[in-house]
Amino acid sequence: MMDFINTFAEIVRLSMFIAIPLIIVALAGLFSERSGVVNIALEGIMVFGAVISSLMIGILFNNTDLSGQWLFIIGMLIAIGAGVVFSLLHAFASVNMKANQVISGTALNIFAPAFGVFLARAIFNVSKISYPTREFFIKKVTIFGLDLSNIPVLGPMFFTKTYITVFVGILILVIAYIILYKTKFGLRLRACGEHPQAADAAGVNVYKMRYAGVLISGGLAGLGGLFYIVPISGNYDPLYGVSGYGFLALAVLISGQWKPGRIMVMALLFGFFAKLSNMTDLIPLLDNMHLSTETLRIIPFVVTLFVLMLTSKNSSAPRASGEPYDKGKR
Amino acid sequence: MKKFLLLFAALTFVIGLSACGEDKKYEIALITDVGTIDDGSFNQGAWEGVVKYAEENDVSHKYYQPVAKTTDDYVDAIELAIEEGATTVVCPGFLFENAVWIVQGDYPDVNFIILDGTPHNVTNWDDPTTTEDETATLSGAGMDNMDFTNEVNVRPILYAEHESGFLAGYAAVKEGYTELGFIGGMAVPAVVRFGYGFIQGADQAAQDLGLASDAITIKYWYSNVFWETSEVQATAVAWYSTGTEVIFSAAGGAGFSVMEAAFQEDGLVIGVDVDQAGAAPEVITSAMKELANSVYDTLDEIYEGTFVGGVPVNFNVQNEGVGLPQDFSRFTTFDQVAYDAIFAQLVNAAIVVDGDNTQTLAEVAAKYGKVLVSDES
Repeated sequence: MMDFINTFAEIVRLSMFIAIPLIIVALAGLFSERSGVVNIALEGIMVFGAVISSLMIGILFNNTDLSGQWLFIIGMLIAIGAGVVFSLLHAFASVNMKANQVISGTALNIFAPAFGVFLARAIFNVSKISYPTREFFIKKVTIFGLDLSNIPVLGPMFFTKTYITVFVGILILVIAYIILYKTKFGLRLRACGEHPQAADAAGVNVYKMRYAGVLISGGLAGLGGLFYIVPISGNYDPLYGVSGYGFLALAVLISGQWKPGRIMVMALLFGFFAKLSNMTDLIPLLDNMHLSTETLRIIPFVVTLFVLMLTSKNSSAPRASGEPYDKGKR
Repeated sequence: MKKFLLLFAALTFVIGLSACGEDKKYEIALITDVGTIDDGSFNQGAWEGVVKYAEENDVSHKYYQPVAKTTDDYVDAIELAIEEGATTVVCPGFLFENAVWIVQGDYPDVNFIILDGTPHNVTNWDDPTTTEDETATLSGAGMDNMDFTNEVNVRPILYAEHESGFLAGYAAVKEGYTELGFIGGMAVPAVVRFGYGFIQGADQAAQDLGLASDAITIKYWYSNVFWETSEVQATAVAWYSTGTEVIFSAAGGAGFSVMEAAFQEDGLVIGVDVDQAGAAPEVITSAMKELANSVYDTLDEIYEGTFVGGVPVNFNVQNEGVGLPQDFSRFTTFDQVAYDAIFAQLVNAAIVVDGDNTQTLAEVAAKYGKVLVSDES
């Protein structure tokens, strides 16, 4: 029994490394779509955030005294900034120019990895960005001298061999919920995604709100990009982007019915099954079944599809999402 | 302000024009395969050889990255390189076998160096009737259409990866590790030979140490990627946390994810292709192929005029074309003396490493009793 619990905790710990980026990036999509702009550029913004922040972390580490978690936090701020700046392009195209939001999003997706390789090569003369991820790794979480890793079950899940990304991610989830549902700003933002004409009539500046939605989206997606690449390796190759996790976050957003709580559940579910497939060695029952790697790898996707099938009937997408707002049109 | 801008625009224009006027030729060209020029292993090793020779002898050189990983794009890249003046084209990887087969006759004045493969027209070994030669009539016999023409301007270079893998496996078990892992990029011949050699080396060391049968366990897996992914990282973490002590990663960039997992879980790694000790402190040794040296030597032959192509050249323990780096500081018991002893046994063929990559993993595993191989694919 103890073995089972340990194994379970280990899988949860590792699934956090992909569930947290998924949550953050799905929330990024949430802010954008709630304001009425479809953002399929999440993948591209993730890559852009990852490229700029990992480059800057590398440069700061080599040229200043910064190290450890402070460096990581500065890196996070850079990732957010990069995402905001990059998403300005999408905001400008879809709000000001009233362009097709899918096309402008696709453009960013294609642009980001190529730009990443170009930038890395221009600065370091290599296409792989190396940056000190090892600085950010936490073997055991201690607060005021208390070793939290000794807590049964929760210790090995959240407070052992981890990154602060996990805690930052949970914090962001809470803040996002409060902003969307407990503030005036959140109400107005959601109104712009449901019925922009009515919001406009009530005196809300739809353009401003949509800009805000897309820029928040960009910041979160950029941060998600950094969170995704950190546990994987100290070398980041922009050529391979973020392996489609931006698009996966869109699926999480949809199967999470555009609600923060459900998004979290879906992301955790996906993360758990994805890591379960990598970690069959830990589970004698699964190991003895000798399933092929391919079979195991499709499990999380099949689960997501299945949930999507069950939930899509009563889809609650923001009604005006994807429609450019034109003041003159009623 | 406006005037300044105008001046600036004019200057850029002039500089841009003068750049176009330059008609630079690049004599030595390298085409990259699936990885990038700084993949930390295969392409990089070959490119280092090119750069070393070119800089010492003041020859112009350039590398080209094909648009996509298809034979057509490889051919395009090779032809572009030749248009830009290449007289020698280095093709690192067996993926170039078809492409080189196609172009070798068209450019008799251009020398080709192909690493890890020989030119031929078979595009799918499961069905040898599918060939690059569209004019050939596809008879039922199939085999008639296979063509292994190797023109004199083509020099294939083959490495005895199995010997390199053997030495790595031997060193790890001699050091005292009993729970090993192997992560290969894809089940391609070179990677398979690394893996099978690794099993044999572990078995040999277990015999030398007088260990019981099945005393060594090797987890064996092809990741199907040559770059960093969360799957590779998580799998390596799972292996380390269930007792695996050393993972031999023959998977290009994916090895960096294995190193990250090794750091997180206090495990160890054996690197591949080049000496990867600098990449992470967890890398105890590397199963090397002297990529840079073999390319360098061949380029030297070409410029000295002694180059004769047409037949493959093998790099193995006899000509020190494969082996481990000479630094054993990350071992505690295995050392230079032990290494030299086993190396000598390979050189004088007292021990012969089986490099047949057409066997299945189960067949190989059955032959070596000291090792218990668990297939994780």
